[in-house]
Amino acid sequence: MIEKQLRIPNRLGLHARPAALLVKVAARFQSDIFISKDDQIINGKSIMGVMTLAAEYKSILSFKISGEDEEDAMRAIEELFARKFDED
Amino acid sequence: MQKAYKHRLQGIPASPGIAIGKVHLLSGGIIKIEDRDIHQEDVEKEVEKFVTAIQQAKQDLEALCNHANQKLGENGKIFDVHQMLLDDQIIIQQTIELIRSEKKNADLIFFQQMTKYQKKLEQLKDNYLRERAADIVDVKRRVIRHIQGKHHNYLSTLPEPRIIVARDLTPSDTILLDRRKVLAFATEFGGRTSHAAIMARALEIPSVLGLEHLTDLVKQKDRIIVDGNRGEVIIDPSTELLEEYHRLQSEYYDFERKLNYVRELPSRTLDGKDIELSANLEFPDEIESVISHGARGIGLYRTEYLFLARDELPSEDEQFEAYRSVAEKIYPNSVIIRTADLGGDKSPLALQIPEEDNPFLGWRAIRICLKETSMFKAQLRAILRASLAGNVKIMFPMITCIEELNQCLDLLAEAKQELSTNGQAFNPNIEVGTMIEVPSAAIMTSVIASKVDFLSIGTNDLIQYTLAADRGNERIAYLYENFPPAVIRLIKQIVDNGHRKGVWVGMCGEMASDPRAILILIGLGLDELSVSPIALPAIKHIIRSIRYSEAAKIAQKVMQMETALDIRDYIEAIMNEKFEDLPFI
Repeated sequence: MIEKQLRIPNRLGLHARPAALLVKVAARFQSDIFISKDDQIINGKSIMGVMTLAAEYKSILSFKISGEDEEDAMRAIEELFARKFDED
Repeated sequence: MQKAYKHRLQGIPASPGIAIGKVHLLSGGIIKIEDRDIHQEDVEKEVEKFVTAIQQAKQDLEALCNHANQKLGENGKIFDVHQMLLDDQIIIQQTIELIRSEKKNADLIFFQQMTKYQKKLEQLKDNYLRERAADIVDVKRRVIRHIQGKHHNYLSTLPEPRIIVARDLTPSDTILLDRRKVLAFATEFGGRTSHAAIMARALEIPSVLGLEHLTDLVKQKDRIIVDGNRGEVIIDPSTELLEEYHRLQSEYYDFERKLNYVRELPSRTLDGKDIELSANLEFPDEIESVISHGARGIGLYRTEYLFLARDELPSEDEQFEAYRSVAEKIYPNSVIIRTADLGGDKSPLALQIPEEDNPFLGWRAIRICLKETSMFKAQLRAILRASLAGNVKIMFPMITCIEELNQCLDLLAEAKQELSTNGQAFNPNIEVGTMIEVPSAAIMTSVIASKVDFLSIGTNDLIQYTLAADRGNERIAYLYENFPPAVIRLIKQIVDNGHRKGVWVGMCGEMASDPRAILILIGLGLDELSVSPIALPAIKHIIRSIRYSEAAKIAQKVMQMETALDIRDYIEAIMNEKFEDLPFI
């Protein structure tokens, strides 16, 4: 299992488009991907779940990834954050 | 004896012509969900019903998405979120499991699940994410309708052309219309200058608005007549009445054909005064209509559609493509591009415009642009770049004071500088104008005119603000159905003050498209009229049938009148006399 915290880099937060991107990336991997913020935990492969997190700019998300391809999954997600979800 | 009709309703005539056809009722209506126990042996069937409904909903969205893409290019993005919601395996699996464990009907379970999420979103502080709750509602209803086997409501998937009946039609609704399938609109809300009216005229279909209780009185597929000339809707007409209206309909087509002769002729009065006659453009694909109706240029190119029904703001390049294309098609005639007039009922998601108590008196149009300067400058740069492709002019909406205009001009100068630094060319002498649509601007016309090349009077908003009457409120539409003397006098003031400063003064509001107003407007000295393309032939015909000197005398007389009714009666008498061969004017 990999646990890591990532900070939201987008000015508009995790609105529909980046949420959709995140879910698309997560869906590529077999591992279970859970994301929590404050006391909420949601499944990272669910667009509904990600939207209800309401992750605004600079908020911190905790990722818990476990499965065979957990390392690849974590890396792909980190990359997405580093690219600021392709915004500005 | 057979009754001639089931109901005959009087509303506001919003777009001319006569349509006869079957109703397609847009129900924003209430969905009823029952709570039913399902027998063990029927549970899998219920699961299947649910899965099929999801598939059907996805197909709907694909069609909508394709349609939106065709019409708007990249702009159909908003439907992506809906598609993702329908792909959300967690929701789907949870619903299926609950149908099996609780043994309840699929629509109930799905409703409960989605509502849970919807409520979570509705409680968020973030405006933008709260808006997503609306998406969830949309998807929820769409799937439930399929589970329940109800009609789906897409305007793009109608089997045959229909008359659209609804409580109201929003800008987002109308963006997706397939005009080949829509014969007419009839709605409960709205008036001559509401968005649905403007859309109907742009689509060249008859429309009657402000019909109280309409949606209670019609059923899906009822036969109705929509008379956009008289503002009447007849539900379930008798055979005789149908015949009479078919006859009226072909008379109206004849009338339109007759007027076609003016297409290539100049818009000039009998005593040689030229009036520039251009057209209003709501969507770029209306440009064929603009050209085919004989417009000299586009007096108002509304750019809001680029900002609506999508998640993000349009990029500079995307805007440049749109503006360039219109400029090229209308060349050598000019196109006046109006910068974004957003807010009120035209609210893009990306801007997170907060809910206001008085949106028409609030943060809108140029006020938004002067705050969101990078968005505004992107638009200005796009317009400037497009200025090389044709004869392009810029116009600012809703200017209320000289400070706002000065800021706009400063930002325009900055945009020019940015392009130059980047080695991008544009027309340095691009003409700049502003709309006069707010009383304070009308009062300050001389000051404003000294800083611009032209003025365009926006009567829709000007009348609204001057008379303190909401243009979307059918209950008080009577206040500006005719020609309020206050507005006539204000127009004269604007024209005279503009001329004193050497600028031309035009009009792009709906009043310019009203044939009855032309004599007055010409007589008051307006240099240009920008009208809806379908109104153009009749208006050119009127201009060519009168002398400017007569029009001036008529305007003088009207300036002395004190009530709207006096003005209306006076004008109607003159029109009836002069144009008795044209019954539909």
